[in-house]
Amino acid sequence: MLLLKLLPAGLAFGLLQVVLRLAEDTDLARRLKAHEPKAMNDLYDRYGRLAYSLIYRIVRNPATAQDLVQETFLRIWNRVQSFDAERGALGAWVLTVARNRAIDHLRSVDGRMEAGSMDLDQLERPALFAKLDATPLAIDRVRRLKSAFEKLTPTQRQVIELAYYEGLSQTEMAERLKQPLGTVKTWTRSALKILRDELAEAAIA
Amino acid sequence: MNCQELQEMFELYALGVLESPDKNEIDAHLARGCENCHEALADALALNAGVLSFAPDTAPPKRLKRRVLSSLGVHYPSWGWVWAVAAVGLLLVAGWLGVEERQRSAELAGARRALLEVNGERDRLTQALQFLSDPQTVPASFGRGQTAPPRGYVFLHPQLGVLLIASNLPAAGQGKTYEMWVIPKGGAPRPAGLFQSDGTRALHILNGPVDVSTIGTIAVTLEPAAGSAAPTMPILIAAAIGT
Repeated sequence: MLLLKLLPAGLAFGLLQVVLRLAEDTDLARRLKAHEPKAMNDLYDRYGRLAYSLIYRIVRNPATAQDLVQETFLRIWNRVQSFDAERGALGAWVLTVARNRAIDHLRSVDGRMEAGSMDLDQLERPALFAKLDATPLAIDRVRRLKSAFEKLTPTQRQVIELAYYEGLSQTEMAERLKQPLGTVKTWTRSALKILRDELAEAAIA
Repeated sequence: MNCQELQEMFELYALGVLESPDKNEIDAHLARGCENCHEALADALALNAGVLSFAPDTAPPKRLKRRVLSSLGVHYPSWGWVWAVAAVGLLLVAGWLGVEERQRSAELAGARRALLEVNGERDRLTQALQFLSDPQTVPASFGRGQTAPPRGYVFLHPQLGVLLIASNLPAAGQGKTYEMWVIPKGGAPRPAGLFQSDGTRALHILNGPVDVSTIGTIAVTLEPAAGSAAPTMPILIAAAIGT
């Protein structure tokens, strides 16, 4: 609980809901695979608010966010059979699916479905989440990551937000920020290295 | 590029924002089964999930949970006597509609044509095709002989659930949604999920096992956006099963 005091209240509340029950994710994933209706109720209780918060952060529209949350859980329900209940990171998968639904929406609205963009479907396959650390959303990891994020320069933070919350490629970022592509790549690479190093240190500690 | 250079781009790759040729190089490298890089990709996914959890906490509307669960066909208990009365009414309506019995092959062929016209999400289309290709699927049609549409098909499968394909179905309108109902023979209607029409067509699936032999009718009504626990509006679609 002491760690929670170091976080902004809103973030702490959302995280608390998630991490206190991480140990139950394996059992929940098993029940989802069995298509138990109660399991979907529990999944929503555990991750619905986090998914809505993320999607709302991206699309900035309550009605659209609700539609996309519904789409997110439908997709989870339809694909959970391929999820590895013993090793998979359920929360990370839900967040990824939620983020991708919102980015897909943004791209369709902006007409950004260009040929070079990665097919998001391929990047949320349940199999990809079988090798994750079982607790990618553990509160200490997220706290350290958040702390590292806040130490980034404004331009580094900006490119991270454009990639994660707007789904922009580095070329699109360069156009948006009116900066050379090389500069944007440098900002992005250095920002990610800082975040990566922080997680590596957290793992050692 | 070597593994380390590729791994520096894994977070962007996993976010779907990495462009060619870097993306293609990572695709090809991962396809070759590099174990270190697969582990690094998992680390990148974990980092991404952590960053995504930074989104400011925002409370969703309370009705959203019900809407999400309803769209998945998760049933709610507690039906009152009034719904038993409604069920009798629905069965009468279904009987009045007089759904024609057709050969299974003709139903499936018609459904495939209808399915091609539906602009649905890929997952649902894949699921729908599973219904249509399985010999255990029980088809029924609705809307035939009526002066006003909608028309279409429903398909019941003991393991997959219920598939509804409707044409000539107008958009639900602001603050409204279509809701499907499973009505057992002599029983009360059970909610079977919410869906929308694109203005002319709609496709909806209730996931999960169903006891086909006990189902009398599949019905659809127009309801408030959050859905209802029982029909509150007139029946728009009623497909009698096994007639």
